[in-house]
Amino acid sequence: MLGFILRRLLIIIPMALLVVSVTWALIRIAPGSFYSNEKTLPPAIEANIKRKYGLDKPWYQQYFLMISNVVRGDFGDSLKYQGESVNDIIKRHLPYSATIGALAYLVALMVGLSAGIVASIRQNSGFDYGSMATAMLGLSVPNFVLGPILVLVFALGVYWLPPARWGGMSNLILPVLTLAAIYMAYIARLTRAGMLEVMRSDYIRTARAKGLSETSVLLRHGIRGGLIPVVSYTGPALAGLLAGTVVVEKVFAIPGLGNIFIQSVLNRDEPLTLGIVAFLSILIMVFNLIVDISYGILDPRIRYD
Amino acid sequence: MRIPDKYFIKSVLLSVLTAMLATSCATEATSRFYGKTEAPKDNVLRYISGSEPESLDPPVATGQPEARIMMALYDGLVEYDPKTMDPIPGIAESWEIGQGGTEYIFHLRHAQFSNGDPIKAGDFVFSYRRAVSPELAALNGYLGYYIKYAEPYNSGFVFVKDANGRFLLKSDFEEAAADRAKPAPDSDGGTEFHKFLDSPERLTVPSTEKERADLDPKIKAAIQGKEFVPVKAEDIGVEAVDDYTFRIKLRQPAPYFIGLLGHQLFRVVHQGTVEKYGKAWTRPENIVTSGAFLLKEHRPYDRIVTVKNPKYWDADMVRLDGIEFYPLDEATTMMNLYKAGSVDAMYNHTTPAAWNEVIKQFKDEYLNAPEVAIEYYTVNVKKPPMNNLKVRQAFALAIDREAMAKYRKTTKPLVDFTPEGIFPKYEEARTKVYTEELKKKGSTLEQWKAREFDPVQARKLLMEAGFPVQQNGNTFSCPTFPVNQVDLTYNTAESNKAVAEFVQAQWKQNLGITIPLKNMEWKTFLSYRKKLEYNGMARAGWVGDYMDPFTFLNLFYSETNDSSTGWWDPKYDKMLDAANNELDATKRFEMLARAEFMVMQEQPVIPLQTQATNWIKKPFVKGMYPNPGTLHAWKFVYIERDPAKWDQNVENIMAERDPWVYQNIDRITATQKALVEQHKTVAE
Repeated sequence: MLGFILRRLLIIIPMALLVVSVTWALIRIAPGSFYSNEKTLPPAIEANIKRKYGLDKPWYQQYFLMISNVVRGDFGDSLKYQGESVNDIIKRHLPYSATIGALAYLVALMVGLSAGIVASIRQNSGFDYGSMATAMLGLSVPNFVLGPILVLVFALGVYWLPPARWGGMSNLILPVLTLAAIYMAYIARLTRAGMLEVMRSDYIRTARAKGLSETSVLLRHGIRGGLIPVVSYTGPALAGLLAGTVVVEKVFAIPGLGNIFIQSVLNRDEPLTLGIVAFLSILIMVFNLIVDISYGILDPRIRYD
Repeated sequence: MRIPDKYFIKSVLLSVLTAMLATSCATEATSRFYGKTEAPKDNVLRYISGSEPESLDPPVATGQPEARIMMALYDGLVEYDPKTMDPIPGIAESWEIGQGGTEYIFHLRHAQFSNGDPIKAGDFVFSYRRAVSPELAALNGYLGYYIKYAEPYNSGFVFVKDANGRFLLKSDFEEAAADRAKPAPDSDGGTEFHKFLDSPERLTVPSTEKERADLDPKIKAAIQGKEFVPVKAEDIGVEAVDDYTFRIKLRQPAPYFIGLLGHQLFRVVHQGTVEKYGKAWTRPENIVTSGAFLLKEHRPYDRIVTVKNPKYWDADMVRLDGIEFYPLDEATTMMNLYKAGSVDAMYNHTTPAAWNEVIKQFKDEYLNAPEVAIEYYTVNVKKPPMNNLKVRQAFALAIDREAMAKYRKTTKPLVDFTPEGIFPKYEEARTKVYTEELKKKGSTLEQWKAREFDPVQARKLLMEAGFPVQQNGNTFSCPTFPVNQVDLTYNTAESNKAVAEFVQAQWKQNLGITIPLKNMEWKTFLSYRKKLEYNGMARAGWVGDYMDPFTFLNLFYSETNDSSTGWWDPKYDKMLDAANNELDATKRFEMLARAEFMVMQEQPVIPLQTQATNWIKKPFVKGMYPNPGTLHAWKFVYIERDPAKWDQNVENIMAERDPWVYQNIDRITATQKALVEQHKTVAE
């Protein structure tokens, strides 16, 4: 097990460097630069900028300089936001995204799991149909539609909640709900399907035959197997949630990382894009690892050597 | 635990209720104001300023969202008039212009930085030298190029000194030197530096051998074996004559220069703070400012909180206790915040097209006035068939601009290259010049104005160019036109798409030609357009840097001009140069109008519309006007608690005279007027 974890952790480093290199190449291929705008710059100004940021050097020198900095964990300064280091920007804006993401994740898990489990126990009941229909609706309504509808009702209709921006607890409610909806729905459906399959399997019948109470069959045996599909879905989903989601951050004007990531690409802010890409890729790989480990805990049949 | 079906029914009912509530909100209530409208209890303005500022360092920050924040934090020699955007005294109490329009002498008042240090002429010298230094590499640095030797300093150029210690002069190599060699303006003596600035302009050349390879052979030969002396910060044309007299020497007359000095590049920064903290000097804990407000808090992408600066020279006038800038650029989100009463005003072009009909009804809040900005299509004049003038003219004539303005709802038709309704004096001069020029061609101003839309003439021109348009009933077709060689390219945006589709339909309807549309991501598009890789037409917009038509006409100046059309004519350059050397404002405008006439005859661009400000503010925010750049001198802005005095029917806001605002404008401009009067008396 330990060997497996170590091997997986070690592979993250070259993988992240590969991702960074490919991203770097893509940025370089994309036309335009961080300083290009409607007004063309006089050549002297352009030369000054290139000198200031080392863009006048040959590409391979720039590439090796970038890689050696990245290996040391230093992504340099943002090109667009002068005097701001990329590490500072990530550190400053990650908490906003992570707060919304973690809360949405919790809400989605709590609601999704309970709805899914109850629906699977009460299969074909009114609750099952109702919750699964709602879940289908949740899956089909994209968050750029759901967000504005929630705002329209709760912020502009009844003035209960603020329509946007970062602030107190009340500012969190709408974005968290918007963000959670789709995950909630997905988790509910996955849980229901997983549970239905597991609860019909032989080992559950065995457990019941042993005379275990229905509660303990469900909680000790059923859930462990039934949740495998949920775990493999929510692991990477959590990485995505924590690192920020563009649409919700835009709609609710939250200064999170997702928004900044997109802006950095549009601004051709190379160091910032690279920094966030590296951070995201590492985050996703780590969460995938955690998912793989948790399979082993949930399902005794899965072993790592 | 069986869940009763009753629960299910309840939840369905709840959703229906919610849906009903949502629809009731969507249909607009017929209230007088848009959303929650109560004057805030504290005297703090909450303003949406556009995207996150690149920096709070004035010369480094480039865009308009930045400019608005800089105007709160820093003061310059002059400030913008809140309505006209004309320069009014700032830290400079008054100024004089001399030496044929190349010398500006500013008399400074006794102002202070926010830490209590006095603002002296030396601080302006430092700020200006820093703004154009190659090390700072400010994107806007070129705005300082009018200052003598600022461009060679910014470009890292060198002076050339011969064996006798004499510096080579620029005039030594100018062809027309003989007729242009005016005697150097009289230097009024003073320091060595003063004399140096007033002496004829020295030759400057690139510092590296490689760059010098492209020089004129005559210059190359002349500088062979000579000594090169780098142009230093100390050489540029700014001078502290004494602590409270600041002098700027320009390399050539630029009558619009004073109007440029309100730009953030020219606002004053505190030397000690900049030098002590380096790039961290704008952090709230370090920053020292010179404007009406201080920086209290900066949370990027969220808020920039400023409070009134008690040390500001005109602090008595400032009525706001602070301004909170919210850096947002999502239009729907900001409209929601506005409606919920969480913000009081926002920047320009913020009302989404789909909302316009509704928002327009709030007559006390919706501000739409002409802007010093235009929208047009560039034409690639290097590629056929658009290299044919008649084809270009045909495409320009075949767009119904009046219909477009109706469709766009906020803009005005445009047939020339300078915006309509922004430079009234210039427009007068232009009418006169155009009438004369057109008479020479046997045409009239009415015919010229018909260019707003003239499909018959367009078809005639197209036929003359060899692409006959056939009429079949009510429709037209032009089978010989090479549609595969012409596109209309725009950068991806809903509004650009709407305009492009409109224009496409117009050309189809009036010429029988369907031009394919192409859209691209912004930065990709910029490079594609600039390198003239596009076929046919591409979208462009231009916002004036200062309140003078030259900021538009300059776009076609020089062979490497910024028009992205491939068009250039040395005659045009000469016309502009001559105009800027003219000291009489009316004559100068006439000369500029002749140049505009010339370039519009060549049709390297298809003008579409003059932009409009298109934004909203709560009626209790007063002293804030839809001026041509949406740049607000914040000290004029205040919050009115008495609903009886709130702004009403803001369509006429530019004509209305708020007594308090006018009193203050009069007070501030009195010093400059007095100086002008005094000079008049002396002259008489």
